[in-house]
Amino acid sequence: MIQVSNLSFSYTKQPFISDMSFSVSPGEIFGFLGPSGAGKSTLQKILIGMLRTYQGSAMVNGVECKKRTKRFYENIGVDFEFSTMYEKLTARENLQFFSSLYEKKPRPIDELLEKAGLARDADKRVADYSKGMKSRLNFIKALLHDPLLLCLDEPTSGLDPANSRTMKDMILEEKAKGKTILLTTHNMQDATELCDRVAFIAGGKICALDSPHNLIMSKGAAAVTYTWMENGERSASCPLKHLSSDKRLKDLIENNRLQSIHSSEPTLNDIFMDITGRTLL
Amino acid sequence: MKAIRLSFIQMAVTMRRDVMLFASCLTPLLAGFLFRFAVPFFETVLTDYFHLPAVISPYYGLIDLFFAMLSPTMFCFVSAMVALEEADEKTAAYLFITPLGKAGYLSARFGVPAASAFLVTLILLPFFKLTPLPPTAMLLLAAGGTLQGIIISLLILTLSSNKLEGMAVTKLSALTLFGAVIPFFVKDDIQYILSALPSFWIGKAVHDHILVNMLPAFALSAVWICLLSKRYLRKM
Repeated sequence: MIQVSNLSFSYTKQPFISDMSFSVSPGEIFGFLGPSGAGKSTLQKILIGMLRTYQGSAMVNGVECKKRTKRFYENIGVDFEFSTMYEKLTARENLQFFSSLYEKKPRPIDELLEKAGLARDADKRVADYSKGMKSRLNFIKALLHDPLLLCLDEPTSGLDPANSRTMKDMILEEKAKGKTILLTTHNMQDATELCDRVAFIAGGKICALDSPHNLIMSKGAAAVTYTWMENGERSASCPLKHLSSDKRLKDLIENNRLQSIHSSEPTLNDIFMDITGRTLL
Repeated sequence: MKAIRLSFIQMAVTMRRDVMLFASCLTPLLAGFLFRFAVPFFETVLTDYFHLPAVISPYYGLIDLFFAMLSPTMFCFVSAMVALEEADEKTAAYLFITPLGKAGYLSARFGVPAASAFLVTLILLPFFKLTPLPPTAMLLLAAGGTLQGIIISLLILTLSSNKLEGMAVTKLSALTLFGAVIPFFVKDDIQYILSALPSFWIGKAVHDHILVNMLPAFALSAVWICLLSKRYLRKM
């Protein structure tokens, strides 16, 4: 679906993206993780044909992005982080207009509005929508023409937990239908939950690329931290896989002296910090 | 073509919901009636009052010229306002990554309105003209006016970042029409100081009755449009 080889791009004389290579298979959710200014959005702009002065190769659906034609967009749906709706029009009017630009038969608007929880507000002007509602509307706009590739930029940003769940379920539903999804985010929970593979991007380079599970495991097993009282509160940690050999913990359990005990697994943010020396946020 | 047509219709819907923009499109018709009927009436009143053979009539050519530029200027102003609103709402950026594309967007926002303005001018000018303009002159004036309208809309878009700024820049951009006045009032070579403005050459063509003077106007318009389009696309 996507094949990127030796991709480089710069806005100035300084390289902004250097020598990136990766591929994304059909039906995969692929995440770009990195802090602001790392090059995630620029990479996405290249892949959707907005920036065409790059070196190397970026093929999407078998088309070199810099040579894309109008037909290229029949199979790409983009959900930007910001609202891209006509504020004076209603949600329904917006969706009707944008779907009419494509040759493909659009997906039923009412069904999409219903799924996103916007059916009751379909005839309300977008200007009167909350940020979360605009975010959901933006997302379903990207689905209207049933594209093979979805590019989602921070799709859950600004959503409450319930709506964030709805959005993530809709993304997984699209994946189940065989859609390829590019997810640009710095939300590690979303990436861990949704992505089959993630690429860590920092300083315009891919620093690591693997499944979230493999990346987390690469740091080592989870640790267990426990506390007990002995001349005040004291604490200790031991790796989960060495738990049975921790004599002090055994002793504390046998004597019921534990104050607290919890396990902590490394997150993608920890891995990102390990690899790049920077945080995702 | 389908996407361009639908995008143009979308602009018309936006325009219909905005009283100011809708009124702007009716201005050429109102101005046409004013120029055609009120101006000759005032000329009669003034010549009788001052006992002069002519007061306004030597400038009828200039009035015709302005009328030829009015529809394109107004139509393109409306397009520029809609495009500014679309830039504010980021809908323009989204339209670029649909089958409409950048070229389709520019056609829907500037090409179609400019072509419509050209046709409207060709229809209205024969009714409202004050001087005996031959058909070739009317055709060239409508074309020159249309190019001038596109220049104004691109100036508005490149120099402003929202609708409010756009209103202010419109006044500034309208100064580019001022070049048309110069050949009527400045007789010395100093008039060529404004020769970089296409409107100057349109004014010169009408004033001197030399239609070939429209050629520099077209050439200069092409340069202005090319430079401003590049800047606008870079900005977007």
